[in-house]
Amino acid sequence: MRRSFTILLAGILAFHSFGCGRPAIPRITIGSKFFTEQVILAELLAQHIEARTGVHVERKTNLGGTLLVHKALLSGALDMYVEYTGTALTVVLNDDPAGKDSAAIYRRVKQLYAERFNLAVTEPLGFENTFAMVIRGEDARNFRLQKLSDIAAFAPKWRAGVGYEFLERPDGFSGLTKSYNLRFAAQPTVLDLGLLYRALTSKQVDIVAGNSTDGAIEALHLTALIDDHHYFPPYYAVPIVREETLARLPALRGALADLAGKLTAADVRHLNALVDVDQRDPAVVVRAFRESRGF
Amino acid sequence: MNFWDFLLHHYTEIFSATLDHLILVLIAMTVAILIGVPLGMFIVHRPAFRAACLAIANIFQTIPSLALFGFLIPIPFLGGIGKRTAIVALVLYALLPILRNTYVGLTAIDPAVLEAAEAMGMTSTQILWRVRFPLSLAVILAGIRTATVITIGVATIAAAIGAGGLGSFIFRGVALVNNSLLLAGAIPAAILALLADFLLGQLERRLRVT
Repeated sequence: MRRSFTILLAGILAFHSFGCGRPAIPRITIGSKFFTEQVILAELLAQHIEARTGVHVERKTNLGGTLLVHKALLSGALDMYVEYTGTALTVVLNDDPAGKDSAAIYRRVKQLYAERFNLAVTEPLGFENTFAMVIRGEDARNFRLQKLSDIAAFAPKWRAGVGYEFLERPDGFSGLTKSYNLRFAAQPTVLDLGLLYRALTSKQVDIVAGNSTDGAIEALHLTALIDDHHYFPPYYAVPIVREETLARLPALRGALADLAGKLTAADVRHLNALVDVDQRDPAVVVRAFRESRGF
Repeated sequence: MNFWDFLLHHYTEIFSATLDHLILVLIAMTVAILIGVPLGMFIVHRPAFRAACLAIANIFQTIPSLALFGFLIPIPFLGGIGKRTAIVALVLYALLPILRNTYVGLTAIDPAVLEAAEAMGMTSTQILWRVRFPLSLAVILAGIRTATVITIGVATIAAAIGAGGLGSFIFRGVALVNNSLLLAGAIPAAILALLADFLLGQLERRLRVT
């Protein structure tokens, strides 16, 4: 009795492990850096790809900074994430953006990414998210500050707050202070990106390096100073995919092409605000957005 | 650039972060000692309070430190981000070793000595100050030593809520996949902890009553 039961069990297990021809569901992994917009964009790509192609998408969001996510992509731990052209050029490729307009930067990034990393830079999503040097609204009004070149006189009395990456990037803090001749009271305070605006409003810092599409800027009555020296290069959002993944799942190309040029900065700012200010769940927010746009 | 080049270029930043770190730890330890030691003495003769105090201190120690920091952010006055919140969290974290060691040190005294003191006509308060306390200094210091080493380590997490210190190098290093940054925070923190452990260990030996 026991012997026949054992044979039966072995047979069932063998049957399952060798499969009965059930098809393997294609899967990919989408990653993101550690700030809200990236999480939203990853979710948008994921939901669209799942709906359009049936590929199962695993989200690995809030991983870390640019280089960490880039290395994860190179190693195959990720198949795709959304990068910004200026960041790709300066941080990843260590190239100089001077004298190049946004189309030239896009082409250069696309070419070098294909040559050096075997990564496909697909079509831009349609919006730019540049660094925004943000101050409190009251300071902007009281001292009549609108452009970055206005604040040189105030910098020695101010503290700056920046994220981990901004301090180290070639297009970051040190270049900014040189370009606008800013000398701050002390070394900048380095904070998690999510805490920057809180530090600003609670007056622990007086100027922070935020993102131009942050939802909190309007909600907290903050002012983003105009980059009149055009120190920052253009940062157009673009999905980057492993060539290997595109070869394995060609349907992804079509899905990504659907999204090309479809997002505006206002759209993204609105989505960011829903998550950051209204504390809504990114997946829910993205789903509602897709429905409203018919993606 | 390799680690040594990095140190050469950033030593002022590292030094000021180390100083910030030390200040955080010193302030937190001072407050924790000022609360923990008297509280430990207070609960020697009050069994009802003892259970409650030790339990509460225990709870704070078991909360993961990053969670404790994050937890305090939205609380008014004590909270927010920055050094003050970090110090509150560090004090709560350092409390248990100090409190428990103070209590244990004060109560684990040879009963013969206590009987002799009673026989001499001392009141329990006099016994507390003149007999228990001097004899338990080494044990109390052992608790302070443990708490200091823990605090130096936990203070690296304070960088996550904007309190600065050596932790900011570690967080930056992790986020940017940069080992030089990471080590620039981790190595000084480890050296500080080892130094504190050694120096307080020497003091403990000095105070031990054989």
